[in-house]
Amino acid sequence: MGFMKRLFFGDHEKLKDRTIVDQAKEPEQPSSTKLADNVDYLTNEFNRTSDLRIRILEKGQAALMYLETLVDQEKLHEAIFSPIELGHVDDISKIPSSRVTKNLEEAIKALLKGHAIYIQDGSRHISQFNVTASFNRSTEEPQNEKIVRGSHDGFIENIMVNINLVRKRIENRDLTIKYFKVGKKTNNNMALLYLDGVTDPELVQEIEHRLKYISADMIHSPGYVEEFIEDQTFSPFPQMLNTERPDRVVANLIEGRVAIMNEGSPTTLIAPSTFFSFYQSSDDYNMRWFTGTFVRLIRLASFIIAVGMPAFYIAVVSFHFEVIPDELIMPVKQTINGIAYPPLIEALVMVVIIELIREAGIRLPQPIGQTIGIVGGLVIGDAVVKAGLVSNLMVIVVALTAIASFVVPSNEMSTTLRLLTFPLIFLAGTLGFIGITFGFMMILIHMTRLESFGVPYLSPVAPLRIKDLKDTFIRVPIYLMNERPKDSRAIQPGVVGPSREWKEVERSNNQQQPKQSIEEGKSTGSESGPNADS
Amino acid sequence: MTKRLLIILCALVLLTGCWDERQFKNVKLVLTMGFDEGEDGKIVETVSIPTINRASEGQSQERVQILSTEANTPLEARDFTDQSISESFDPGKLRVLVIGEELAKKNIYSVLDEFYRNPSNNLNAHLAIAKGKASEVLSYQNISDTRISEYISGLLEGAEASSHTTGENIQLICAELFEPGEDFSLPLLAVDEEKQSIKFSGMGLFHGNHYSGIDIPVGQATMYLLLQGYKGKSAHLTKKVSDKFEDERYNYVTVNVIKYKRKVDIKAEGDTVSTDINLKLRVRVVEYPADHLDKKSTIDELDKKLSETLTKDAEEIIGMMQEANSDIWGIGRQVRAYHPKVYEKLDWKETFPNMKITPKVDVEIVQHGIIY
Repeated sequence: MGFMKRLFFGDHEKLKDRTIVDQAKEPEQPSSTKLADNVDYLTNEFNRTSDLRIRILEKGQAALMYLETLVDQEKLHEAIFSPIELGHVDDISKIPSSRVTKNLEEAIKALLKGHAIYIQDGSRHISQFNVTASFNRSTEEPQNEKIVRGSHDGFIENIMVNINLVRKRIENRDLTIKYFKVGKKTNNNMALLYLDGVTDPELVQEIEHRLKYISADMIHSPGYVEEFIEDQTFSPFPQMLNTERPDRVVANLIEGRVAIMNEGSPTTLIAPSTFFSFYQSSDDYNMRWFTGTFVRLIRLASFIIAVGMPAFYIAVVSFHFEVIPDELIMPVKQTINGIAYPPLIEALVMVVIIELIREAGIRLPQPIGQTIGIVGGLVIGDAVVKAGLVSNLMVIVVALTAIASFVVPSNEMSTTLRLLTFPLIFLAGTLGFIGITFGFMMILIHMTRLESFGVPYLSPVAPLRIKDLKDTFIRVPIYLMNERPKDSRAIQPGVVGPSREWKEVERSNNQQQPKQSIEEGKSTGSESGPNADS
Repeated sequence: MTKRLLIILCALVLLTGCWDERQFKNVKLVLTMGFDEGEDGKIVETVSIPTINRASEGQSQERVQILSTEANTPLEARDFTDQSISESFDPGKLRVLVIGEELAKKNIYSVLDEFYRNPSNNLNAHLAIAKGKASEVLSYQNISDTRISEYISGLLEGAEASSHTTGENIQLICAELFEPGEDFSLPLLAVDEEKQSIKFSGMGLFHGNHYSGIDIPVGQATMYLLLQGYKGKSAHLTKKVSDKFEDERYNYVTVNVIKYKRKVDIKAEGDTVSTDINLKLRVRVVEYPADHLDKKSTIDELDKKLSETLTKDAEEIIGMMQEANSDIWGIGRQVRAYHPKVYEKLDWKETFPNMKITPKVDVEIVQHGIIY
């Protein structure tokens, strides 16, 4: 039927204004020719909210309606009144920048977006003008993801600005953005970004599929979305990468991953993510690759320290003190002699104190936060040891653990690490080294079982793919990372072509040219260097 | 199901947990232990137990308690000791085990048996024989180091580095204790009342599981170790090489062995076993006031003289080993492995003291220091 219609009458829908969003059937409320009916309907729908401004124009023949809290007065003036004042048009409904609809429901949506609508008596046309006021902070570097070198801008709360930041970095028609409306009450905008032709279409489909299942009154942050669409919610490990950095998002898009943005939050979700992607930082790629590799290794070592260090210490002092080196045995004994509590309790107390200090520091304003850090870290730490509640060594161990847990570039992973310390502390306190072994085994088993959107969480280590190890424990020079890692599910493998061929060319030139110059020298009698004849 | 599993898991961990917990703060560490022969076949165990008190500021106080207990067996003695100390006795970090001369002459295995059986024991502990009584060595007060364990282990490690002792520990002698064709030697410690110190005084030769009473004196120990094929960080040999000079010190040379090559040649024919041992030493002269080492003739002369003297020393050492019936080099084991028919005919205990062992030491001076 549709085919016939299109054949004979042409596709009229193409001429309509539209955004490319797959939207479900919209409710419709045709407008009436009577101005009063339309205005009544709208005011009723808005429950006579006080900020709905109705300006009666043309001696009661027309009305301009807008939500004054959403509208920028200056824009309103510029868009509607100046064309008339300047005499370009003689009627507001004829201003070309307006969108026209006959659907009152659409008018409600427009009003909620911050548009102004103009309705005339005797006409069913409703003109909509985009006069939205937007208050944006500047795209500053995110506080939680600072880097030393590289781009210093970050996402903000406005999704349009965020997508702009990404588009500026990927000037490519394949960068595809899909809008979704989520939250039954809040009706937030959400965008799905991917690079067509690189990203696995099945992955995009899968994520869209999952996003469409979300049914909640409010989606106010990516954390909500994450829990709705991730594979395993009963896991301490985050399965989607959170970032506020445009460069990180871009790099992941190019690798063939998908980014999900939310209106009102600077955090972007990246899927699929593996364990190792949480240990990558933009800084790694701006450093020389030796340093990049070194830092990467330090970070991965911090995982072991953060998770296992207190457990190891507890196991040593309460089960296996034979492993303490001979020279250390008396100093260690000296520090823990006369501590009232068993090491298990001691460690729990200290770890909880550290968490308290951290949590207290976050909420408080900057100057007080620092004071808390000093009071907590120095004063309590010192006093607790002097009082004999906790041993010196335990303070060292716990402090080291806390530092190690903050090394991870991702805040999500950092909290996970600190959480995982607790079960291991218990296991070490009850079963010693055997407990730690079991604990680590369970963590490892869980991690190998975990999947993030069809990608094994521990890839490329389990399942092992040696080619993809280029950007995990080590960071090889960029030109050697010539293929996209398989864990992004990219369908197009190549990412870096032969980029250092110039070196080959140079070498072959150097080999050839001296011969030439000798030959030339023979014929002309003058000696010319390789540079002179080129 | 999951709930039940969870309960079972919690019960397993929380109820059985801490089962074999050994809190480090609740043990009394025994770092040095000594055994002596007591009356009526009993043994006397002497332990030194350091106690450190936690000091909130400044230097902490350390006191050392030395206890001697008499009992029938080492473990019984340990139990008795445990009754007179606070907290519990733990030899897990034992550093030095000293056995009195009298007890060693009888049998050392009876003392060591427990150490091999219990996995928490420190088999790395140094083992030494005390000239006289072990308790005397352990209770010696006038020491520079705070702890006797540190003092003795440091002493033995030093002696090991200067090639005076082989650095035996409980584990290392284990195989040789049980092996009939091979014996071992242990360092000797003696209290030197005059110099107010504990002194390393040579290597005590063992036969089977007991001390023979024959010692390699300190002066010969380095040569003894080289013959055994063992060299520490440095191996100094000081020998008299002439009588020409009035100043006695000019007559001596001290060399440091840089490299050595040892070759043991065992010949077994019929029921006679003989052994040739060739030891080639490449040495550096570290002290020789008479000098003139730039001349080839001086060097050759010194080489020759040293080779002769050291061969003589080696003969003496071999004589002592045979007298003690201590087959340190494991000749018996070699004969057993390569000439089993010969070995079967022989009673090795009888053969070793009387067999012919010919040593030959070849010294070559390769360096003479930075002056000439």
